[in-house]
Parts: sequence; C-alpha cells; structure tokens
Amino acid sequence: MSKPTDLVQGTLDLLLLKILALGPLHGWAISLRLGTISGDVLQVSEGSLYPALHKLEQEGWIEAEWKQTENNRRAKFYSLTRLGRKELESEKANWQRLSSAISHVVQLAEA
Amino acid sequence: MKIEHWWYTAPLRLKSIFGRRRADDELDEEMQFHLDHKIEQGIAEGLSPEEARYRALRAIGGLDQKKEEMRDARRVHWLTDFVDDVRYAVRSLRRTPGLTALVVVTIALGIGMTATPLSMLDALVFRPYPVPHPGDVVTLVSTSRDNGFEKFSYREYLDIRDRTKSYDGVVANGNLTTVGFSAEREATPLVRGGMLVSGNYFRALGVEPQLGRGFRQDEDEAPGRDAVVVLSWDFWMREFAGHPSAVGRVVRLNGRDFTIIGVLPEAFTGLYVFDRPDFYMPLAMERFFSAGSQKDFFTDRDDRVLTLRARLAPGVTLRGAQNELAVVARDFERAYPKLNRERGAAVRTMFQMRTQDSDANWKFGVIFTTLALVVLLVACTNAAGLLLSRARTRTREIAIRLAIGAGRSRLIRLLLTESLVLALLGGLGGIAIGYLGIRFMQAFSIPAELPVRIPFRMDGRILLASFALSVLSALLCGLAPAMQSTRADLVRGLKSAEGDEPAGRKRLWGRNALVVAQVAMSLMLLAATFLMIRGFQHSIGDGPGYSTDHILMVRFDPRLVQYDATQTARFYEQLAERARETPGIVSAGYTQNPPRGLGQFDHVAFVPEAFQMPRDRESFASSMDTVDQGYFETMGVPILRGRGFRASDTATSPRVAVVNEQFAKHYWPGADALGKRLRLDGADGEPVEIVGIARTIKYSSGPATSADDFLYLPLAQHPIARMILLLKSSEDPLQLIQPVQDAVRSLDANMPILETRTYEDLYRYSTVEGPGVGVRLVGTLGAVGLLLAIAGLYGLVAYNVSRRTREIGIRIAIGARPRDVIRLIMGKGLLLVAVGTVIGLAMGIGLERLMNSMLFNAGGVDFVVYLTIVPAMLLVTILAAYLPARKATRIPPTLALRCE
Repeated sequence: MSKPTDLVQGTLDLLLLKILALGPLHGWAISLRLGTISGDVLQVSEGSLYPALHKLEQEGWIEAEWKQTENNRRAKFYSLTRLGRKELESEKANWQRLSSAISHVVQLAEA
Repeated sequence: MKIEHWWYTAPLRLKSIFGRRRADDELDEEMQFHLDHKIEQGIAEGLSPEEARYRALRAIGGLDQKKEEMRDARRVHWLTDFVDDVRYAVRSLRRTPGLTALVVVTIALGIGMTATPLSMLDALVFRPYPVPHPGDVVTLVSTSRDNGFEKFSYREYLDIRDRTKSYDGVVANGNLTTVGFSAEREATPLVRGGMLVSGNYFRALGVEPQLGRGFRQDEDEAPGRDAVVVLSWDFWMREFAGHPSAVGRVVRLNGRDFTIIGVLPEAFTGLYVFDRPDFYMPLAMERFFSAGSQKDFFTDRDDRVLTLRARLAPGVTLRGAQNELAVVARDFERAYPKLNRERGAAVRTMFQMRTQDSDANWKFGVIFTTLALVVLLVACTNAAGLLLSRARTRTREIAIRLAIGAGRSRLIRLLLTESLVLALLGGLGGIAIGYLGIRFMQAFSIPAELPVRIPFRMDGRILLASFALSVLSALLCGLAPAMQSTRADLVRGLKSAEGDEPAGRKRLWGRNALVVAQVAMSLMLLAATFLMIRGFQHSIGDGPGYSTDHILMVRFDPRLVQYDATQTARFYEQLAERARETPGIVSAGYTQNPPRGLGQFDHVAFVPEAFQMPRDRESFASSMDTVDQGYFETMGVPILRGRGFRASDTATSPRVAVVNEQFAKHYWPGADALGKRLRLDGADGEPVEIVGIARTIKYSSGPATSADDFLYLPLAQHPIARMILLLKSSEDPLQLIQPVQDAVRSLDANMPILETRTYEDLYRYSTVEGPGVGVRLVGTLGAVGLLLAIAGLYGLVAYNVSRRTREIGIRIAIGARPRDVIRLIMGKGLLLVAVGTVIGLAMGIGLERLMNSMLFNAGGVDFVVYLTIVPAMLLVTILAAYLPARKATRIPPTLALRCE
C-alpha cells in the first residue's frame, strides 16, 4: 500500500484537534472523517490514529468518554478540552505561518 | 497553564497506574470497536468475512504493537514496568535460593559494616546542632600562633557581643563542669554536670523551654545576684521523674540555693558531641562554679574560658562576619597589647569545629568509614561476580528475549531490578547488623567522672544512608553483569545450551579486574588492621615508665562545700597526713590529672630565663600538672636528677618546679637545666627555679607516640581546688576505700568524694580497652573483607573450571597430567593475585601514611606488618585457587566429552 502523501510531522495532531473541534467523535468516525474531509488526499494509517489519540489525551488536550453509539454499542468518544482548544489555536497559527512560508518558497523556485 | 495541565493529566496518570487492568480492557474494547466497523465495511464492499477481517487487521498494522505504543503514551510505563520487573525478579531469584542468599548475605555484610562507622562519623562530624536553622550557628574563636581554636574571656565576650552587627545574637558558654547537686537542703551532694551560659543563650539559639521559661537578660547582669537554673529534659526526667512541679523548686548547687525556672525540650541536648549538661546557670553566677583559677572571670581580659557561638544574621556571609570580627580582634590587640599580642579571631563553622586537628575521634571515624566503604566495595565486587556467573546460565533466556524483540536497555533495566531487589534485601540485613554494631558501641563505658553519653545511634539519617548505599551497590554489582549478558551473541547464545561460551578477551577482563580489586582491597584492610594494632602497641611503648598497679584515685572538690583557698589547702594537707598514717598505705600524693587520664592537662605559658627567645615569640607553652611532695613516689615517676618537691616548698618559700627530661633537653640542649629559672605567664612573671628533672613519661591518652614537654608545679605554691588523691597500697587498693572515707569523714562529714577508681582501671581503659574498640572494629572489617575476597577468588576459579570442563576433559583424555591441569587453572588466578597484591601493597602504604599523619605521629613504613600479611594473604589465596583446581583434575574425560 503506497501512501499518497506522508503527513508532515505533527500535522496529524492538528488535523485531529480540528476534527474534534467540530464535535465529539469516536475513533472509527474520526478515521472516516479524516478520509472525507481531506478528499482522500491525506491518508492516515489506522494504526497510527489510535496512538496519536492516546497521546493527545495524555497531554490533556482531548478527553474521552464512553457513550452509546446510534446503533447501541459502547464506544469511546473523544472531545476537545479547554487546553486542547488553546493548543489548536496555536497549532493553527503555526501551520499558517509555515505553509505560507513554504508556498512562498515554492513559487520562487518556479520563477 | 501548568496547573490546568495537571488538572487534566493527573487523574489520567493515576488511572493508568491504579486502574491498569481496566485501562487495558478499554483499549481492547476500543480497538475491537474499530475492527468491527472496518470488517462490516469490508463485507459491505463485497469481501468475504475472512478477507474483511484480514484487511482490517492489516490496516491497523500489528494490533499488539499498537496497544503497547498506546500504553507507553500513558507515561507511567516506567512504573508499571518496574512493578512487573520486581515481580519477575522475585520469581526468578526464588528459583536460585542458594545464590540469592549468598548475594544477600554478602551485601548485608557490606552495608552492615558501613552503618556503624557511618553513625560514628555522623555523630562526630555531620549531625547538625539540635536547634532551629542549625546551619546559621557559627563559633567564634580566638586565635594565637599555636592554636586556632582558643576561647574568649568574659570581657572580650561583652565587647564582641556589643560591637558586631553580623549576628542575630552572640552567646557564650563555659565548659561542662562538675557541680554538687542536691534536691534537698540536707542531702549529700551528688556530682552532676552543669554549664554556665549567657542570658541570651536559649533565646538566640532558638530553644524554647518546654516548661517554665529560659533566662531573662537581666538575670545575667549582676554577678552572684540571680540564682536561677534551667534543667535539661533528661535530667528533669531522671531527678524529678518529669514532674511539672519541679519548676519553681529550690535546689542546692555547690551548696547554694538555686531556683529552677524552666526545663528544656527533649530535643535540645546541647551543642557538643559528647558533653550533655544536666542543667544551665547564668554566667553571672560564675563565682559559685569557678575552677579556682587565679584570674578573675569578670574582670581579667585574659581569663579565656568561654566558648562563643553566634547566629549569622540573614544575608550576612561567613566572609563578611569574619572580616568584621578580624577588625574587633585588631582593636583588642591595639587596646591591650600585652594581653592580646598576636591574637586574632575567626569565625568557624560547625564542620571546622568538629574536625579540629587535635581531636583524634573524628579521624578514627573517617578511617573506619573509609575502610568500611572498602569492605562494601569488596562485597559489591563479590556480588557482581556471583551475578555474572548467574547471568551466564541465563545466556539462552536473554538471547531469546533479545531475539523476540526486547530492547537492550529494557533488558538491562530488568537485570538491574533484580540486583536492586537483592541489594535492598541485603540492605535490610545490613541495617540489622549495623544496629547490633551501634549497640555494641553504645554499651561501651568510659571511666569518666560524669557519665559520657555515646552519641552514636541508628537514626533516620543512617537508615537513609544505608538505603542509598544499597541502591548504589545494586548499580555497582548489577550493571557490569547486565551490560555483559545483554551483549551476548544471539546466534551462539541460542545455539549452545549451557556449555562453553566463547572466551572473549573483553568478557573476561571484567572478572579479572574484580579479582585484582578484591585481593588489593582486602590486603589493604588487613594492613590497616595490623597497623592499627601496631600503632597502639607502639604508643604503649616499653611500658608506662611508672607504676600503674596498687594505686587508688580519690577525687575531691572542696568548693562544693564552700571551702575557700585556705580551707582547701588545710584540708588536703591534713588528709594526706592521715592517709600516710593509715596502715596499708605505702605513700600518698596529689595530682590534678593522672598520666593518660581522661582530663586535659592545663597549659602554662613561660619564658626560660637567659634564653634567646625567637624574635616573633613572647613565650612558650607546655602541658603541666600540679602535684605535691608525695606524687613522684606514689606514681613511681623517677626523679633522675635534683629533687622532687618537699614539705619545705611552701607558699612563702622560693618558687620551684620540676620538669621532665624532654623539657630540659628541649630548652637547654647540652647544658644542665638544674638550677635554671623560668618565668611563668610571660616575661614579667614570677621566677621559678627548676629543682628536679623527672623521667619523661607519656601523659596524654591519645594514640600519639611522641613525648611532650612537661612541667610540674607544687600544690602548695600553685593551689588548685579540684585534686585527686593518689594512694599506693601494699594490698588490693580497693580495700583502702573504707579507711579513706573514714579519714575524710573525720575531717569534714559533708565533704563529697567525687570519684573513686583504681588507676589500673583508667590505665587499662586508655591503653587497652579504648584502643581495643578501634582494633576490634578495624579487625572485623579486615576479617570480613578477607573472607569475602577468598570467597570471590574461590568462586572465580571454580567458575573457570566449570566453564572449561570440556576442554579440561579433552586435555586429560589426550594425556595431560594433574599437575598440568592445576597449572592451567591456577596460573591465571595466581597472576591476578600477584597483581592485586602489588596494588594492595601500594594502597596499604598510602593508607599507612594517612594513619601515621592523622593518628600516630610516626613516619616510615612498618615492614613487619607487610612481612606478616603478604605471605599470609598469598597462602590463603593460593589455597582458594587450589581447591577448585584440584577438583578439575578429577574430571573424568568421558563425562567431559559427553558434555555436549
């Protein structure tokens, strides 16, 4: 299985925080959502999703709660904490800085 | 931010530690949930259930690895791993009980041997003063050319107290003195220890009385006015059974009424290591407790008897305080050029005070502790050796672990946990051994007038130190084996079962170093033991040079019953007369302090007449004793030339002195000292004629071997209140106690007899029993060290034999003779022993230098010691190597060949 685009180190965190900022989700839903919103451009290996979620939880950025799903199964729902919201803001700012810098560089090279 | 972070994460960590199983279950459930959905998705896409399941698992990419990764994300895995490791370690250690026991005992011996000297060293040097913020308390000392730790006079104290600004209070205290104490007016006084302290003493040190109050400043102002006393907690418990009504009671101290105003807390035991005052009196009451010096405490600026302590004010550095005090000292020198010539002052820390060069106790502490740490090192190397051979039998297990993906550092941690468990078990045993050792030290009694409390104890500090040493030993003895066994060659480790292992050079190097170190260290320990014994023997020399038997010592202090100088002189004169008339008494004499007694000799400053003084010196100083005409005969100190003191040397006759031979040779080399004169207390002092020269004997009780200058002054011309009556008897000296008591009672029924003891007891203590403790301690250390080293060497050779069983078998099969086998096996061991011996010799000689410079004042190398221990050591180690080697010769070749 070839990976179309390797995620830049640390961007997975940003993506996860962003997705959870829209509302609490369980792991499976997150993996589906990742595929849809990035238009399948960004493929996150399912293997690395859960360790990443756990890391965010241990950092205190997201918290987990066991709830019933629509088809009546118990699932672990993740949601953003206040700390996580702050982290998302600063990550977003970082990302924008970085991406604008990179696109600037890329355009230079074309000229 | 920080706090909020913890708010979210702390419960998670706790959950990961305590709800470990549940967290793992949840992990399973979460993954299962994901997988189920993935499989459903696959089936919906038209895959068969198996295919869907396979795809789902592959997408996750190793379920167990991911779970492990998530557990690691919890950041407590080090702890949970540790718990697992401990559990595993205990299980695996239980499987080899013999070896485990051996290692535990070895480490227990090492730690136990260290705990006792550590408790000594702690009590003598490191234990802080029992006051709040003990680190701020410093000692102010007066310094002269010869001594950097002198005291101050009362006048100097007042000046320093009032003129310095670096301190939150400067306090003063006198020496611990014997005081006649009676709880009731009519009771016979008991001898107790009292200390004069300044009015601000407890306040400035931060000691809050547990009962009643401390001194007020005004109670220490008018000499002789305020007869108040503060009791120590111990004394209050002993004499008043801890009854609160003691405060306010009137007791008699040295025959005078004093009111008890307070009781100190239990924790405050004074600022001295050995001296524990029973009660404290204000300095202003000095006249009732004076040592009968000819100087006046309150007015004479050179009556330096006070120890000054001060609490550094916040923000003041030691250096700042030092500079300020130096200025005060220079002012003193300018204002009182005669009394303070070349006299400075210094601020000393507790550490400096307790490690004075003149004090032998702490040096013993240092030497014992060093030797004990060496024993601990030997024990650790031994344990390391044992663990190494254990590791070998586990090569396969470790290889498998490595093969299935265990990280090397993780394995090292596992093995270190094992040695930690071993070391902690050993540490527990060691604490028990150390406890016994300290009990042994505490049980030791010192023939002093006031009971001496041995301050060594097993307290939290020593427990903590022992625990730290255990952890350190775990690292020391576990690290090398752990590193080595995890470096194992996988393929070979998996292939070979238990048999031969590749004899890589690197691999054996560590073991060889262990043996060399052990031999060297135990040789050094043995050398220390023998040097100690020889040193003390030396200090006894060719016998005392005077008689030690058939002498009874009886101590008096007539000031306890309010005698003045005239009454005291008459009492001593009459008592000696009566004693000489008593049948059974051969002779009687007085001394202030018998040779090798526990007391300090007084020092006297003098100027030899017609002696060219060095330009930078005002006077010389010498130890001295005040004796009477009967002393030399009673003590058996021969007068070599001239005469001893006579009854005709009275207070009004020309003043005379007797010096020892050493003194005479020192100041009049090649000339006759007889008839020469000295001026005492400086160039304008009274002239004293030397009328006799006595044989040089050893006076001090310490281990130093050099003889000192010594001066005797007659009691009649140099009256002292506290004296010891020496009685030489023809029979058992203890039979004289009754006649002496009768004689004293007939002179004054109230006169307390402070101490009665045979001189032999004292002499035995200071030459045999006291040093015996040291010799026994070092001897135990040496014996344990040697034992461990022998066991280590034996173990190593035996290990080599077992490792080379097959090789030896083949050699025997193709015709090697037993002699060849022994040479093969022992050759290496003996080479190691030889190297160890050489290193040990070098270390021993280094240690000898240290001991000589610290304790015995002797130079040179004691060859007898090395000529004794080196052959003994070689013999024992050869034996330790020979036994397993001989076993090797009995290996039947068939067994060896079938070994694989």
